[in-house]
Amino acid sequence: MTLYLVKRLAVLLASTAVAAVVVFAFMALLPGDPAEIALGVNATPEAVAELRRQFGTDRAPVAQFLDWAGGLLQGDFGTSYVTSAPIGPQIGDRLGVTAVLVLGGMILAVVIAVPLGTFAAVHHRNALGAVISAASQLGIAIPAFLAGILLVFVFAVQAQALPSGGYVPISENPAEWLRSLLLPWLSLGLVQGAVLTRYVRSAVLDVMREDYLRTARAKGRGSTGALWRHGLRNASIPVVTVLGLQLATLLIGAVVVERVFVVPGLGDLLLNGVAQRDLLLVQGVVMVLVAAVLLINFVVDVAYHLLDPRLR
Amino acid sequence: MLKVDGLTVRADSVELVHDVSFAIGPGERVGLIGESGSGKSLTALSLMGLLPEGVAASGMARLGDRDLVGVPESRIKELRGRKMSMVFQEPMTALNPLMRVGAQVAEVMTLHGKPRHEARARAVELLERVRLPEPAQIARAYPHQLSGGQRQRVMLAIALANEPGLLICDEPTTALDVTVQKQMLELIAEVAPALLFITHDLAVVASVCERVLVMYGGRVVESGPIREVFTRPRHRYTEGLLAASKLTPRGTRLPAISGSVPPAGRFPGGCVFRNRCPQATPACETAPELTGDAHAFACWHPAD
Repeated sequence: MTLYLVKRLAVLLASTAVAAVVVFAFMALLPGDPAEIALGVNATPEAVAELRRQFGTDRAPVAQFLDWAGGLLQGDFGTSYVTSAPIGPQIGDRLGVTAVLVLGGMILAVVIAVPLGTFAAVHHRNALGAVISAASQLGIAIPAFLAGILLVFVFAVQAQALPSGGYVPISENPAEWLRSLLLPWLSLGLVQGAVLTRYVRSAVLDVMREDYLRTARAKGRGSTGALWRHGLRNASIPVVTVLGLQLATLLIGAVVVERVFVVPGLGDLLLNGVAQRDLLLVQGVVMVLVAAVLLINFVVDVAYHLLDPRLR
Repeated sequence: MLKVDGLTVRADSVELVHDVSFAIGPGERVGLIGESGSGKSLTALSLMGLLPEGVAASGMARLGDRDLVGVPESRIKELRGRKMSMVFQEPMTALNPLMRVGAQVAEVMTLHGKPRHEARARAVELLERVRLPEPAQIARAYPHQLSGGQRQRVMLAIALANEPGLLICDEPTTALDVTVQKQMLELIAEVAPALLFITHDLAVVASVCERVLVMYGGRVVESGPIREVFTRPRHRYTEGLLAASKLTPRGTRLPAISGSVPPAGRFPGGCVFRNRCPQATPACETAPELTGDAHAFACWHPAD
C-alpha cells in the first residue's frame, strides 16, 4: 500500500507538471499581446516594447514558463497584466467558494442517489422501482444550468423563499450563506444525483446476482441483511469510479452554475478573466481546475485500493 | 430427520420439479444424481429457501419439526447455517472478495448468537478441521489469495461451523481439479452429518453415499441403496446413466443416452423419459408411479 501510494503520488506530480506545460503552451499560442492589450491601439511601439520588458513577455517562452511554474510552486500565480493585482489571492478566495459549491452538490447527489438507487434495485420488479428509474432518466436529460433556471423560477420568483442569486460569505451571516447556496447546490446535486442513481441501481443489481450474497443467505441472513453486509461495499467500487468522473464534471458544471446564480467562485473569475483578456489570470484558473481534476483522480485511485483488497 | 413429501417447484406456469418425495435419517448419506437440467439443484435450493426470484416451491418439506416450504424467510433463515448448511458448486465466486476468510467463517457463528471473539477463535479451529495448512494465516487472507480447492474447504468450514444436522452439497467438487476432488470428497465423507449430495458423477456418489435418488425431468425416477441401484438398475434412465459411465475398451464407442435433456417445460407428458427411451411403448404415455419400498422406480418396462 505504501509503495503504491508513493508510485501514485509520483504519477500525480508528473501529470501535474505535464499539465502545466500544456496549459502554458496553449495560452502562449493564443493571439494577443498583453502589452498591446494594456496600452490600447494608440500606443507607440517604444512604449509597448518597454511594457513587454516590464511584464517579462519579451523573453524566450521557456524562460517565461520556468518563471511562471517556479512561482506556482511557491503559490505565486503572478500579477495580472490588466488589473496589476496579484492573482494568487484572488484564486485562493474563489477556490474556497467553488469547493464548497461542488462538494455540497456532490454530497447532495450521493445522499439522493445511494438510497434511491439501492431501493430501485431491490424493487426492480415492481412499479416503484420503475418510477425511480424513469425519474432518474428525466433528471439525466436536464442540464444543470436549466435545472438552475427552473429552480430560480420556482423557489425565488414564484415562492419568493430563496434568493435568486448572490452570495453572502459565511463569516458575515451563516444563515444567509446557507440560503444563498441552497439553489446552486440543488441545481448541481439534483442532476448529478439523477445520473448517479442509475449507476447505483445497476451496481446493486449486479451485486444482487452474485454468489456470495447467496452464501450470506445460506449462513442465515435475510436478503436485505445479506445486501447490507456483503453487497453495498462491493457495489460501491464501480460507483466510486463514476463519483470521480462526476466530481470533475461538477467542477466544470460549477462554472456555468456560478454564472446563473452570481456566485463569486472560480468559474466566475475565469469568465471575467476571459472577458477582460486577462491571460495570466485565465492561465492560473485553468491550471487550478486541471490540478483539481488530477487530484480527484488520485483520490479515486487510492479509494479503490482501500476498498478492494484484490488491488493491493 | 429430513422429510420431503410432494415437493413441487414452479417458475410461473412451468413446473420444474414435480412431486418429489424422500426422507433422510440422522447421519444418513443420500446422493441425488441426474443430468444437468433434471431439477437436482432446485430441489436442494427449495429446502434451503434459496430459490431464485420468480421460482416458488410448494408441497411439504420438514427438518425435524420445522417446515421448510411455504414459510416466510424470517422463519427459515434461522435454520440456515445452523440446522442445515449448503456448499455450492462454484467456490471461486461463493466468498465475498472484500472480506477476510476468517471473518466470513466467524460470521455464520455470530449470526446465530456466538460472541465475536469466540467465533473468531473457533473459525481458525474450523479452518484447521477442513485441513487447510496454516489456518491462522488463511483466516487473515482474502479469498483471491486462495486456490479453488482451498476456497471450497473454507465453504465447508462455514457449513460445518454450527454443527448442523444436515449438510447439502451441490456438485461441490465439479469445479475442482481431479487431484483436489478426491481429497475434498474424503473430507466431506469424514465430517458430514446427514448428507444430501448432488452430483452427476456416479463414481463420486458410490464413494460417498449409502442411498441414491435418480432424478430426471424434475421427478425422482428411481431410488434405493447404492449397491442395488448401481448393480441392478430398474429404470431405463438409470440403466443408461450407468452404461454411459462405465469404462469401455479402447476404440469402442462410449454408450450414451440418445438425445438430450429437453429445456424446462418441454418434457413429454406421461413418463418424462419416453422420448429418449429405447423401450418406450404407448403405455408410457401414462405417467408411471414411483413404486417399491427400499428400491423404488417409476417405469412401465423396468430392466430386470
